[in-house]
Amino acid sequence: MSQSRMERECRVYARYLTGQEVDRYVAGKYAGCHATGRIAEPTEPFDCFLTDVSVRGPLWTRLADAYASRFRKDCVLRKKLVLTLALLECSPATFEYLEGVSSGSRAGALVRMAGDGMLFAAALPLAILLFFPVQLWMTVTGR
Amino acid sequence: MDPVVVVGSGASGVHFALTALRKGHRVTMIDVGHARPMPVNPADSLNGLKQHLEDPARYFLGESFQSLILPGHGSEYYGFPPSKTHVFKECKEFRFQADGFAPLVSFAAGGLAEAWTGGSYPFNDDDLQHFPFSYSELGPFYGEVARRIGLSGENDDLARFFPLHDGIMDPLALDEHSALLLETYRKRSSYLNGQLHSFLGRARLATITRDYAGRKACDYSGRCLWGCPSDSLYTPAVTLRECRTWPTFEYRDGLYADHFRFDLGGRVRTLVALDNRGGTQEFAADRLVLAAGTLCSAGIFLESIRRDSGKCVELRGLMDNRQVLMPFVNLGMLGKRFEARSYQYHQLAIGVRPPVAQDYVHGLVTTLKTALIHPVVQNLPFDLGTSTSLFRNLHAALGLVNINFSDHRREDNHITIEAGPQGRRLLVRYRPAPDEPQRLARMKSHFRKLLWKLNCVAPPPMTHVRPMGASVHYAGVLPMTTTAAPLTCTKECRSNDFENLYFADGTTFPHLPSKNLTFTLMANAIRIAEQAF
Repeated sequence: MSQSRMERECRVYARYLTGQEVDRYVAGKYAGCHATGRIAEPTEPFDCFLTDVSVRGPLWTRLADAYASRFRKDCVLRKKLVLTLALLECSPATFEYLEGVSSGSRAGALVRMAGDGMLFAAALPLAILLFFPVQLWMTVTGR
Repeated sequence: MDPVVVVGSGASGVHFALTALRKGHRVTMIDVGHARPMPVNPADSLNGLKQHLEDPARYFLGESFQSLILPGHGSEYYGFPPSKTHVFKECKEFRFQADGFAPLVSFAAGGLAEAWTGGSYPFNDDDLQHFPFSYSELGPFYGEVARRIGLSGENDDLARFFPLHDGIMDPLALDEHSALLLETYRKRSSYLNGQLHSFLGRARLATITRDYAGRKACDYSGRCLWGCPSDSLYTPAVTLRECRTWPTFEYRDGLYADHFRFDLGGRVRTLVALDNRGGTQEFAADRLVLAAGTLCSAGIFLESIRRDSGKCVELRGLMDNRQVLMPFVNLGMLGKRFEARSYQYHQLAIGVRPPVAQDYVHGLVTTLKTALIHPVVQNLPFDLGTSTSLFRNLHAALGLVNINFSDHRREDNHITIEAGPQGRRLLVRYRPAPDEPQRLARMKSHFRKLLWKLNCVAPPPMTHVRPMGASVHYAGVLPMTTTAAPLTCTKECRSNDFENLYFADGTTFPHLPSKNLTFTLMANAIRIAEQAF
């Protein structure tokens, strides 16, 4: 995989997970981990499709990940996202964001979590609508 | 006279050795002895490391990302950090095949307790019911261990399960979440004690709260899991260092103890060890003390018999603590932010008194602070974007109870040895007790109810039953008995098969209570050295 594609993956995934841009350090480590072979590139056609779609932008990442979280929990896309998360939580620029909310009340936390839940509840059916036919078609045709 | 030869530098080996040295014996310790790396930036807190290290990902995830936990890894909630790699580094001479058991062994200088969480819980008379001695005999040795290693705790509701002994210093400062749990418990203790037979209190920890014996008091750097840089959290490497200051102590690392040779009278003459160049070295022993951990000590014993007689003996009664991990959310902590500079491991413990005293269930309560979050976030049942956002709001409210169950010796759990064309290997077989599923289900439900009373929710799908072997509390294959019989030991842990062979580790425990056994291993090792040497 090209360096630019790798960097693009990392940037899109970081924006999806934290809404923040990544620095060169995180992007470099992301590529470095792939170079060790710890995460192999997808070989199954549907896994390749999910990964390709996810790189189009954070919204697409959310949809692809929502689908994967229900139907392909251990797929390459999820591994790449977990790697991004792991790097962000070690990185000086982003670890504080991931450690928790800066302040707020219990009610505020409940509202935010309800918002998260609703977002997932909206994304999942849309993701199923988009990706299930593709997966079915790929399974049937063997493509 | 030949020296006392001790195999292994873990919690048992070093405390046995130090006692023997103080009694005037010459001691030679044989050990593979993988060394721990020097602590990085010792003055930094955990978050300080993230800010100041040139390559923090290398420190936290490893050079080859070996500590990155990816989906599909088997649903453990944490992995071992790169700084603890030496603890589980393999030794090519030790080969095994396990059935129903996932053994972990260590060849590190300091042994498995280099990666322990410091829980130091003395066995009481109920726990010692099947041992050939009672608490009154073992108690003074708990006090001696506490004086050596430094131990903090409190006289509270849990004292009914953990007897008080000498040498306990003031407890650590509680983190906000643990303090809230304890406060809620105090308000509802009459129900929890009376109806649920459950008690909550301060953990007993091998972590010092004041400068002690050349070590600095805990500075709450949050680095416990990555290896305490100031040795405030005790590990056996501290006592190994002390042993090495004795002129009568010889530490021979880089050697794998393979077997011993004995004469016709059943007296051990020498220990044979393999070096890392493929050669052998032989050590004459006045007395041989095996303290390599139950699996390795049993392996040496079995191989010695096999070499002499060709027989592959079977050692029965292998035990291990089943552990259940139960994550929970404390509703009272929602929306709060945690304090990163705090003690990382469990600060509270739970004791559940069952109808049968020996079935006491022991829980360790860890509130989540500075641990890496990616292993947990990926287990939430949402996409990772949602899970990450949820986790940020929940972080300070998350905790984990590690529920430990006792075990007893059963004939169908055994260790033996097999010699084949590829060399020899240890065969380990373990099956849980037939009533275990019911017992686990009962206790999972009990702990959920208990947590609910503490204002916490424990989502059932997140509860994880760890595989046998994961607790690393192995014991019981050559038990102490009061009546001499082959493949057993005396009360002083001397083999009934070889007159000058001793076991200072868990090999001789006739029962395995639910409490972490490391503290008792140390106390028992001192007892053996005091009473038999």
